[in-house]
Parts: sequence; C-alpha cells; structure tokens
Amino acid sequence: MTGGSVASSPAVATSGVAAGPIGLRAWLRLSDQPFGAILGFLLPALLFYLAFTVYPVLLTIYDSIFRVLPNRPATYVGLANYTAVLTTDPTFWQAVRNTIIWASVGPVTEISIALLLALALYAKIPGMRFFRIAWFTPVLMSYVVVGIIWMWIYNYDWGAANTLLRFLGLGQLVRSWLGDPSTALPSLILVTTWMWTGFNMVVLLAAFHSLPAEVLEAAELDHCGWMGKLWFVMIPMVQPTILNLAILSFVGKMKVFDLVWVTTRGGPLWSTETVSTYVYRRAFDWNTFDLGYPSAIACIWFVIVLAGVLVLSRIFRRHQQLEF
Amino acid sequence: MAVVELIGVTKTYPGGTQPAVQGVDLRIEHGEFMVLLGPSGCGKSTTLRMIAGLESITAGTLCIDDLVINRVPARDRDIAMVFQSYALYPHMSVRDNMAFGLRRRGFSRPDIERRVASVADGLGLGPYLDRRPFALSGGQRQRVALGRAIVREPKVFLFDEPLSNLDAALRTSTRGELARLHQNLGATMIYVTHDQVEAMTLGDRICIMSSGKVVQIGRPMDVYSRPADIFVAGFLGSPPMNLLPATIEVDGGSHAIRLGDQRVPIPATMPASDMRPGPVIFGIRPEDMAVVTADSLEAQVATVAPLGAETILSLALPGVPQEALLRAARDVALRPGDHVRVACDLATASFFDPDTGRALSSRLSVGA
Amino acid sequence: MGFGRPLGRGLLIVALALYTAFAASPFVWVFVLSLRTTTEIYADPYGLPLPPHFGKFADAWLGSSYDVYFMNSVAVVFSAVAIVTVVGAMAAHCLARYQFRGNRALYFLIFSTLIFPPQVTIIALFQILIEYQLFDTRIGLILVYVSLQLPITVYILESFFRRVPSDLFDAARIDGYSEVVIFWRISLPVAWPAISTTIIVNTILLWNEFLFAIVLISSDSKRTLPIGILKFMGDQSNDVGMVATGLMIAIVPVVAIYVFFSEKLIQGMTAGAVK
Repeated sequence: MTGGSVASSPAVATSGVAAGPIGLRAWLRLSDQPFGAILGFLLPALLFYLAFTVYPVLLTIYDSIFRVLPNRPATYVGLANYTAVLTTDPTFWQAVRNTIIWASVGPVTEISIALLLALALYAKIPGMRFFRIAWFTPVLMSYVVVGIIWMWIYNYDWGAANTLLRFLGLGQLVRSWLGDPSTALPSLILVTTWMWTGFNMVVLLAAFHSLPAEVLEAAELDHCGWMGKLWFVMIPMVQPTILNLAILSFVGKMKVFDLVWVTTRGGPLWSTETVSTYVYRRAFDWNTFDLGYPSAIACIWFVIVLAGVLVLSRIFRRHQQLEF
Repeated sequence: MAVVELIGVTKTYPGGTQPAVQGVDLRIEHGEFMVLLGPSGCGKSTTLRMIAGLESITAGTLCIDDLVINRVPARDRDIAMVFQSYALYPHMSVRDNMAFGLRRRGFSRPDIERRVASVADGLGLGPYLDRRPFALSGGQRQRVALGRAIVREPKVFLFDEPLSNLDAALRTSTRGELARLHQNLGATMIYVTHDQVEAMTLGDRICIMSSGKVVQIGRPMDVYSRPADIFVAGFLGSPPMNLLPATIEVDGGSHAIRLGDQRVPIPATMPASDMRPGPVIFGIRPEDMAVVTADSLEAQVATVAPLGAETILSLALPGVPQEALLRAARDVALRPGDHVRVACDLATASFFDPDTGRALSSRLSVGA
Repeated sequence: MGFGRPLGRGLLIVALALYTAFAASPFVWVFVLSLRTTTEIYADPYGLPLPPHFGKFADAWLGSSYDVYFMNSVAVVFSAVAIVTVVGAMAAHCLARYQFRGNRALYFLIFSTLIFPPQVTIIALFQILIEYQLFDTRIGLILVYVSLQLPITVYILESFFRRVPSDLFDAARIDGYSEVVIFWRISLPVAWPAISTTIIVNTILLWNEFLFAIVLISSDSKRTLPIGILKFMGDQSNDVGMVATGLMIAIVPVVAIYVFFSEKLIQGMTAGAVK
C-alpha cells in the first residue's frame, strides 16, 4: 500500500495535534499520523454515511418487525410480517418472479449484443468514434424520458413499433405491447436492453483495447484467424470485465423502479410488477399505510440481491487470475 | 530448417516521413543463427516482425526456401516466435499454452501429447504443466514461451529480445541454453537484440542495423575486428573502440599517423600504407594498446579503474582532444598523473573517413 | 484485425447502421415531435416539422411550471454535486493516503453500498426526513442525494489519489505544510481530471434521479424535473406535442454536457468496470 508514513513502533505518540487518548491512537495505528486531520477529512463523509445509509438500513430492519402506522406507536409483531410476505402474498412472489426474470435475461441480452458491437468497433470500422458516441447516448437519459418515448413507440395505433411492422407487411404481429400481460415484461426488457447495451459496449471495447498486443500476435502465429482469436483468446481474457458488467447489470435490474412506474405501474395484471414498485406501492400508495410490511419485503429482497451477487462472483471466480 | 532471404525490404508506416526499414538485403542460410543487432529504433524488431508476417512489407521481397511469402498471412508461414514479454495465454495452463498452436493446426491428440511431454521434459517444465502463467517465475515463463515455439518444429525460429526481461544471472545461463538449443535442433534462427554480448556469443553471423539500414553483416570476430564504419566500431566491444582524430602524413615513400603532437610511422607491410594523406579517424581497441617501456607514444594517465580481472586506464595523449582507453593487467601499478609509454598494434587498427564514417583500407568490405 | 473481403465489411456496416438507427431514432423522433403541434402529430405521426414551432418551448417553459421544475433540479443537483465532491474528495484522500486500522474495512463498507437496493433505505429515509422536518424540502433531498452518490465518488477518487507519489507528500511535510494545505494544494490538483469526471457523472445521474425525488418531495413547487415531466404527462398525456417539448427541455442539458464532455463522461461512467 502506498500512502503516508507507516506507523512502526506502537509506543509513544508524538505528532502535533493530540486528540483522543494515546491508547486509542496506538490501537488505530495512528501514533505518528495527524489524527486531527484524518478525523477532519473523514468525518463529513462518515456522518453522511451513518445518518443516511447505515441508520436507515437499521431502521428498516427494525421497522420490519413492527406494524408501523402513522400517528400511532408501532406495535411489535415479531416475524409476522415476514411470514405474511413469504407465505400469503402472491403479488410478492409475482414481483420477485418478474424481477428475477428481468435481472437474468437483461444481462444476457445486453452483454452478448454489446460483445458483438465491441468486436465490430475493435476491427476499426470507419466512423467508429461516431458509433461509440451515438450508442452510448441512451445511457444518459432519465428513465422518465425513456419511458415516455417508448410508450409512444409501443402505442398500438400510431407507435413506431406497430407502424414498422405494418410497413414490413407483418401486420398480424401488431399488438398492444404494454397493454398485453404476455408482452409487457418483454417489451420493458427490450427498453432496458436498448438503454444499457451501449454502456456495456463501451466498457468491453476498452477491455479489448487493453489486451496485450503480443498475446494476440502469438495467437496469430498459433494459426488463429480472427474467429479463433476471438473465441480462444480475446473473450476468455476479458472475462473479469464481463463479470463486472454482469453484476452491474444484474443489480441494476433488481433495483429497477423508474421505468416501470412511468410506463405500466406494474400492470397489466401485475405482469410488470417488480419488487421496487411493490414496495413503493405498499409503503406509499396503500390504504393501510403500514410501513412495517414493506420494510420486511425490503429486507428479504436485500438478502436475495446479496445472494445473487455472491453467486455470480463465485461462478466466475475460478477464472479470476489473469495477470498479464 | 530453411533459407530466409530478404531482398530490398522496406517498411514505411503510413504518415511517416522516413522509412522505418530501408532496403534490407539479407540471406540467412539453412540452420544458421543470425543476430539482428542495433540500438533502439534501428528497425531490427520491425524487420523481424516483417519476417513473421506481423507487419506488412511496403517494398521488396521476402522469401523462405525460394518461395515469395510477402502476402502469406502470419499464421500460414510455419514460423514460431518467442516474444520479449513471452506473450503467454494467461488463461491457459502451461500444457495448453504449448499445445494450442498444434491443436489449431489439426495435429492428432496423441501426437500433441507426445510432443508437449518431450519438449516440457527437455526444458524442465514437467512439474509445471498444469500451472497457469501467473503462478510461474519469469524464467519459467520464458521457458514456456520457448517450449511453445519448439513444439511446433517450425521452419524458422524468431526471437525478439527474449532475454531482456530476465535478471543478469538468469540471462547468462539462458544464453548458454539457447546456444545448446541451436546445436541440438540445428534450426534456422533469427534473433533480435540490442545487447552486443548476446550477439557475439550466440550468432553465427551478426547483422548490424542503424536507422533502418543494414550497416554490416559478418561473423562475430570479423565484425568485431574489421568494423565497416564508426557506428559498428563503437557499438561492439566493451569498453568501446577508441576513435581518435588523426592525420595520415606521407613523407616521400613512407606513411605515418599524426596523433595530436606525436607521430607514429606506419611500416610498409601494414594496412593503411597505401592510404592518401589527410584527416582520418584512427580506431584502436583498448586491448590492442599496451603499456611498454620501449620508445613509443607518450601519454599521461588520467584515471585508473581497477575492475578485478583487469584495469582500464584512461590516457591523455598530448594534442588529442579525447582520452584513450587501454586494457591493462590487473596488477598494473600506475596512478593518475603518471607518464607512461604506450604502443598500438597497428595490424588490428581501423581507419575511418571523418566525413562519412566508413572504414578506409582495401581489406575491409561489407557482407559475409 | 482485417476483414479482407469487402462484402463482409459492407454487411457489417449495414448491421452497425441498423443498430445506430435503433439506438438513436427515439431521440430523433422526440426532437421532431417537439417542434410540431399535437394536431399535426395526430394527423401524421411521422411527418417533418414544417413549420417548426419553436415557440412551443417558451410555452412549455412558462405555461406549465417547467421553469419551476427546471430551477429546482438545478438547485438540488448543483448543491448536491458540490457537497458530495468536497466531502467525497476529503474522504477519498484520507483513505488513500493514510494507513490506519480499519482503513480497508471502511472503504469496503462505503463501496459495498453500491449494490444496496434502494428499497432498503427509502422507507426509513422517508420516516427520518419527516421526523426531522426535512420531508418535502429541497435541503432534505440534497442531503439524501449526497449520501447516494458518495460511494461512487469515493470509489473513483480513491484510486486517483493513490497515484500521487508519496514523495510529494513527504517533501511537503518537511517543508512544514499542514495536512489540510497538502490536501488542497497537492492531492486536489493532481486528481483534478478524476474530480471533474465525477462532477460530470454525478450531475447526470442526479439530474435523472426519480425514485427518491418522488418519495421525498410532495409539493409541486419543489418538484424536480423528472417528476415534473411525469406530472405533466399525467395531466396532459394526450397533448403529445407539448409533452415532447417538455422532454426536449429535459434532454437538452444532458446532451449539451455530453457534446462537450463525451470522452470524460464515458470514461467516468464506465470507470472501474474494466478489469
């Protein structure tokens, strides 16, 4: 580790600002470091972190074992909320199902298309700088903007999707994309793919460019054409990056709220209900306005997301060491 | 085992004003170990890469076994290369690194296993076959790179400064192994380096390049003792050849060299005795000068550098702007400021034109 | 890499052009729609804006509280980005340059919050803000936004601060500079490229932020732009022309930043994903 001076001897503290007992400073290995300055630098961030991240998480856990109603003291219900969520709440399971489908399909489509695009740009097609900038643009837009635009695109009568189908003579495929429970979720998955593929492409392109040229030349001399190089050398060597993107995409889909809320609000018939929309609804839209129940959902969901990330890391972990 | 021939090979990068490699004519015989030697940027690596097919050839012809291969893609050239950074596949085991090229070329499985096993044994990589590059030391990785090339049994081996990333001790031992390898395989090998010790010890012939052009090709001792120009003279040998400004004087029928304030007569039997009078650069290697008691050149010792096995003296000759270096015995008892007499072995001396830097004298020529 | 055959390359370019159309055409369409009136649009959804009604932008701005929403967004985002940059830089500097027990643990804790689903904090934040009378205030939203972007800021800046050679710090200490001055005059200037990148990235992300804004702000006068657009859309979803104009107002600042800082923005947003 780089950094300032290394505290070697544990004994007497000497530097300028003496704040805190000598024993504490020694334990923190701060004996010959500017304790006051360190504290000063860290304190604001720590305060924000504690007040607006740690405290809320703890509060959510706390809430989840109560019935929390406005203007009334909270009543302790133990694990009743959890059991209710897990056993008697079909909407919860529907939302989980939808979200997990989204978080599984999304990364696959986004990354595979991005791989192809990155490879195309890697081959130095003319105009690649333009393409790179153009494809990255959807990432920058607010989900509200994206949602409204795509609602218009999916509009049955005059939306671009159906108009294009009719134009191509595929009129029988026309349907109400966001209004039909069987096509609503896939339609939204298409929207997030549209948004994020450009992002993945940019990252993968950078990863490809960072591959050592000599290894690719060695592959050339080992009788690899461009397909061989791709399959046996390039893609395996960017696996750590692919893993990162997969996790980012997975976590992003597990969190998705904005897009659904703007377009379908979880409908039709809960076919696009996600855990976030459900939590929001139960916390802020529901008649009972009990905050304990959705807190329980949030806690359960937190555990599921963490488990998902760990599983993903573990799958790819075997191939991690690619020092080059 | 193959003959590699370059005829007028030139490489200019698009947008570049000067060619990186210009008009290289080089013929490497069956089983020869040819070293391309020169400082950074001289074009030696570019030339090697053109032979490999990793760079395109702008002009000229490249032939292997009398077949023009300018347009043949690198993967079809039956050439193996050992890279400076080894270029191992980090995600594959040692075994797979070595087997990969063979698999891609469709060799049978038993054939591949046999080859990999025997080459790995020969290089002492047997216990490491299932390890991945990150778990190997620098020296081991280099052997894997070597093994990957050997297992292919190619027509030509190419080496791009393979010893640069090793520490000094490993470099010396690996050099010996490369020499033995060449003896055992008897294959055609082309080796790029900037280290003249490697070039002298490994090469059957050395091709010295500077600024994209070939300066001299020849056997190590030929290039060493009869350098074609000042550049080669200064590049080979450590400490380098002394290059002192002098003048050839002709008095009647006898020639002499004026070095500063002193005059050294040239016997008629010596080279340079048929040279015209005028300024020259007098080249004499430190080991070809000696401290003597006889009546010869006077000099004053400037510095004494005892190196253990020998002592390097730096001498000031009256009227000569540069100091000359002299290799003396290890127990020479001289101190800075001492006056000594030195003699030069004129038979080994070289003379260079001060304007062009090329060697004078009818005995010297460029080429094998 | 070389695709020798021109046919192969040609097909490739066609495929890429198609994808570009796929990626860009929604924006082009909105731009066109924003310059047409709703009647024109219903008559011919894909027609060209002839004549282009630039006046619609003024109408949207003044007539539909867009100016209020826009200004709220500007105020909130500007303040939050300013605060998080300062706070994050100080913390990143500290974590990168000083060694003490718990340094790595702290860094990991802050960094790991990136994978927290917002549900796990939003309900509680709602309660907390109400309790401290920060609910429905821009200040409350600003504070929450700072905490939202702190992890990514610290993450990006920490690795940059690490790159400052220690010798600079040692020399400065010998010269008698205090730690704060060292931070101000040595760390910050060196990490300036990264800092400007985080500023740009945070601005874009917070400009578009929706969930926390919708939960923590309830009165119309304090709404930020994304919520404002949604409300607008809700009230007048049939007035496609006006909604499109409103969308353009929201898009334009983002596009402006992108046009000037595309390289920085791309690098910043993709930082750390390449391994």
